[in-house]
Amino acid sequence: MTEPPAVTRAGAWVGGRAVSAPEAVRQAAGLLGRSRAAVVAGLGTDIAGARASVALAQAIGAAIDHMDADAALANLDVMRRAGWIVTTPLQARTRADAVLLVGPGLPAAWPDMVVRLALHDPPALVPDAARKLFHLGPGTDGPLAGAIAIEAPAERLLVPLAVLRALAAGRPTSLDSTAAAPLQNLAAALAQARFGVAVWAAGALDTLAVETLCGLIDDLNRTTRFAGLPLPAANNAEGVMQASAWATGFPFRTGFAGAVPVHDPWRFDARRMVASGEADAALWISAFAPTPPPWGDDVPTVALVAPGTEFRTPPAVLLEVGHPGIDHDSMLFNAALGGISFAAAASPRPTARVADTVAAIMAALQSC
Amino acid sequence: MLMRLAGGRIVDPAHGRDAVGDLWVQDGRVVAPPPAGAPADATHDVTGCIVMAGGIDIHSHIAGTNVNAARLLLPELRAGDAVASVPVTQTIGRLYAAMGFTTVVEPAISPHVATQAHLELADIPIIDTAILAVLGNDDFLLRLLERNEGKAAVADYAARVLGGSRAIGIKAINPGAAAAFKSNVRRFGLDDAVPGSAITSRAIINTLQAATETLGLAHPLHLHCSNLGMPGNAETALATMDAAGGARLHLAHLQFYAYGTEGKRGFSSAAPLLAEAVNARRNITADIGQVMFGQTVTVSSDVLRQFNARGQAHPRKSVILDGDGNGGGIVPYRYRRTDFYNAVQWAAGLELFLLIDDPWRVFFTTDHPNGAPFTAYPDLLALLMDRSLRAQHIETLPKDAMEVSTLAAITREYTIGEIAIMTRAAPARLLGLADRGHLGPGARADIAVYRPQADRAAMFRNAELVLKDGVPVMRAGQPVARPAGRGLAVRPGFDAAINRSLAAFYESTYGVAPTAFDVPAAETVGRAAPFETVPCRT
Repeated sequence: MTEPPAVTRAGAWVGGRAVSAPEAVRQAAGLLGRSRAAVVAGLGTDIAGARASVALAQAIGAAIDHMDADAALANLDVMRRAGWIVTTPLQARTRADAVLLVGPGLPAAWPDMVVRLALHDPPALVPDAARKLFHLGPGTDGPLAGAIAIEAPAERLLVPLAVLRALAAGRPTSLDSTAAAPLQNLAAALAQARFGVAVWAAGALDTLAVETLCGLIDDLNRTTRFAGLPLPAANNAEGVMQASAWATGFPFRTGFAGAVPVHDPWRFDARRMVASGEADAALWISAFAPTPPPWGDDVPTVALVAPGTEFRTPPAVLLEVGHPGIDHDSMLFNAALGGISFAAAASPRPTARVADTVAAIMAALQSC
Repeated sequence: MLMRLAGGRIVDPAHGRDAVGDLWVQDGRVVAPPPAGAPADATHDVTGCIVMAGGIDIHSHIAGTNVNAARLLLPELRAGDAVASVPVTQTIGRLYAAMGFTTVVEPAISPHVATQAHLELADIPIIDTAILAVLGNDDFLLRLLERNEGKAAVADYAARVLGGSRAIGIKAINPGAAAAFKSNVRRFGLDDAVPGSAITSRAIINTLQAATETLGLAHPLHLHCSNLGMPGNAETALATMDAAGGARLHLAHLQFYAYGTEGKRGFSSAAPLLAEAVNARRNITADIGQVMFGQTVTVSSDVLRQFNARGQAHPRKSVILDGDGNGGGIVPYRYRRTDFYNAVQWAAGLELFLLIDDPWRVFFTTDHPNGAPFTAYPDLLALLMDRSLRAQHIETLPKDAMEVSTLAAITREYTIGEIAIMTRAAPARLLGLADRGHLGPGARADIAVYRPQADRAAMFRNAELVLKDGVPVMRAGQPVARPAGRGLAVRPGFDAAINRSLAAFYESTYGVAPTAFDVPAAETVGRAAPFETVPCRT
C-alpha cells in the first residue's frame, strides 16, 4: 500500500488557528471518523476528487450532495421520469438550422456559447442551410443578438412552453389569436426546421417546464428532427454526477449508511440535513470558487476550499485546495465538447488537489 | 513464488490438452513443470475440478456515456445492486471474476467520449478491459469517402482514432444510419446512401474492412449490421456476409438478425439459414447476443433502431442521443417468457450456437445488457451443455413460437472442451491476445477453476478458485483480493499528415482541436499500470 501524497503545501487551519496540513488532516479524519451521520457536500471538484469523495462517503456511511444539485437534478428528473431526445454541442453547431434558446441564464451558464455553437454562422455540415435563432423568455439577460425574441415571464415559462407544445401539435389553446400569434409563428418555424435544437441552462427552468419542452421536442420528431441541448450546471456538477453514477449507480443526494445506497433528493439535501440537525458533521468541498457552505457553525465542518474563501465563523477544519484545470491537471466535464475531458493546468502551481486531500483524510481515518 | 494447482482436469484446447495433471505458475505466468521433486511455495489442491484459462468476453457493454445514462435513467432497477442489468464498476469486476472471466471488451465507444469510458473501466477491479472505437457515422470518415481520399488516408485516420481513443479494434454500428437519421431518414439498409452523398453502408463497411487489414489489426472489423430486430432481417445479414467478400468480418449479436417472416405472425427463426451461411464462410466470425428472459435495458449506439424501438420501452421512457458519430439510445425492455416474439428470439440464439459447427468462429455473448445481463451466462452455458434442460424450457414457452424454430429437434450438447474454445481460446485469438486464452508456458496466469456439479449453472456462477496474474482473487464466488485491472489497446503507426487534415477539419467545422478528445495517459484516467499494447500484425 503506497502512502497517499503528503498534503503539505496548502494553507491549513483548525478552529481558525493556522496549523500544519497533516495536523489539519488528522483533525478532519477525527471529526469525520467519529460522525454517525455526515454529509459530503459542495462537491465542487474534478473527477478524481469526486471518486475520492464518494469513496470516503461510502467508508464513513455519509451522504453526498452537490452545491448545484437543484439545477442538475431538475434536468435529470425529467430524463429519468419521461426520457428525452438530446444532442451534443458539436452537432448543434454543425447541423442545427433552427436554434431555440429557452429562458434566462444562458450567458452565465456558458459564456462562450455563441462562439462555440457558431450561432451567427450557418450550420457547417448542412449545405445551403441558414440558421434561424429564437429566444423564448430571455428575461433580464435580454435576447440573443439576431434572435427572434418571444417575450415571456422568465420565472413562469411553463405556460408559454405548454401553449407552444399544443400549437405545434395542432391542438387548441385558451389564448386568443392575438396573444397566441408569436407562439403560433414560432411553432410553425420549429416544425419547418430540418434539425432543430433547443438550448436551456440547467436550473433556469423548473422540472415541469423542462418536461414540457422535452415533450415538444418529442412531438416534433414525429415529422422532423429536433433535439435538446441542456447546458450543464456549474462546478462540474455533470462530471461529478457521471462519476457518482458509475461508482454507485446513483447521482448525488445519495446516502451510504445502509447495506445498499439510497438515493433521495429530499432526504439527502445537505442544507436540509444540516438545518434539521440530522447531519452531525459535514465535509464541504469547493475547489472552483471561494464559496463557503450555506450554513455557519450549525454543524462541525471540514472545508476543502479555494484560497480566499470567507466564512461567517471559522470552520472546524479548513484546508485550501487548488483550482482544477488551472493550478493542476484535471479531468472535467467540458460544456463545449459535451463530455469529460482532460484539462491541462493553465498555470501550474504547487497546490493540494481535492483527491489527494480526501485520500489523506481517508488514510488517517484508520488511526483515529 | 512458485505455485502449483494440483490434480485438476486441465482443459486447454489451444494446446490440445484435456487431462488430469498439475499446472505451475510463477510471477504471474504459467510455467513449465519444474524438475521432478522441486517443491512449490504454495499448492492449491484442485482435485476433481476443471482448470481453464480465464474467460474472455468480446462484446459486453460495461462502460461509457450510454451505459452510464442507463444507470441514471433507471434508478428503480436498483442500479447499485448486484442483480441490476447495469451494475456499477466495482460490481462488474467482482461478478465477472466470480464466473472466471478475466478480460472483457466494451464494444461501442464513440471516439469523442472515449475518455469517460476509460475512466469507468479504470474503476473496474480485477478484470482487464479494452474498448472498440466506433467509426462509420463520423463526419471526417464520410468526408474522406466522399472525396475519394483513398484507402491509405482512411487507414491513417483509423490508426489516429485507435491511438487517440486507446482502443483495441474498430467497430461499425449501422454505418451511415446515424448520419442519415440526422437528416430525418427513418429506415436505412445496406445499400442506402447517406443523404447528400453516394456513400452507402456497404461502402463504409468495405472501407473499414480494408483499413483493418492495412493496419494489421488482429481483430477484424466488428460490425453491427443494419435492420437489427426486424422481421426478415436474415436477408440483411446474408447480404452483409456476401458484401464482406473474402475479407474477415465479425458480425455482432447475430441472433438479432436471425429472423424470417414465416408463420401466422410473419416472424420466425431464420437461424438455420444464417448458421449454414456462417459455416460456409471461413472469413466470418459471429457472436450471438443470446436473449434470456427478464427485465433488462437495451443500450445501443444504433440510434435509429433505438428511436424506432421507443414504443416498446418497459418502463415507458427512453433516452435518444444524436451524438457525434453514432450517438445512441437507451430503451429499457423486458423479455417475457410468455411473449411469442421473445420466445422466438430465445430459440433463434440457441439454434445459432448449436448449428454453427466451428466453436472457433462463434462467440459467447448476450450483448450485455441488450439480450440479457452478463450475469445470465451460467444459465446460458447450462442450456448449451444440456439438451434435456432445453427441453424443459421449451415445454414452458408458447407452442406457436417453437413451431417457427428448429430448436426442439437439435440434440447437440457443447462439451467442456468446446466451451473452453468458445469462451477462452477463440476470443484470445480473435483479439490478438497471445498470452491469454490458453495455459501453455508463458501464458498470463489468468486461471479459472470450476468444481463440477449436477447444476452446471451453479458451477459456472461461482468458480471454485480464480487467479488473476497468478494471484488468487476469488474463492467460491467470494473476493479475496481486488487488484486493479489493466487496459489493453493497439497503437498502429500512421502517416502524420493525417493529423494536419484532421486538425484543419476539426478547427473549421467544430471549432475545437481533435486532440481535445484524446484519452490521456493511463495514470491520468486512474489506472495503476500503463496500457498494455496489443501488437499489430505488420
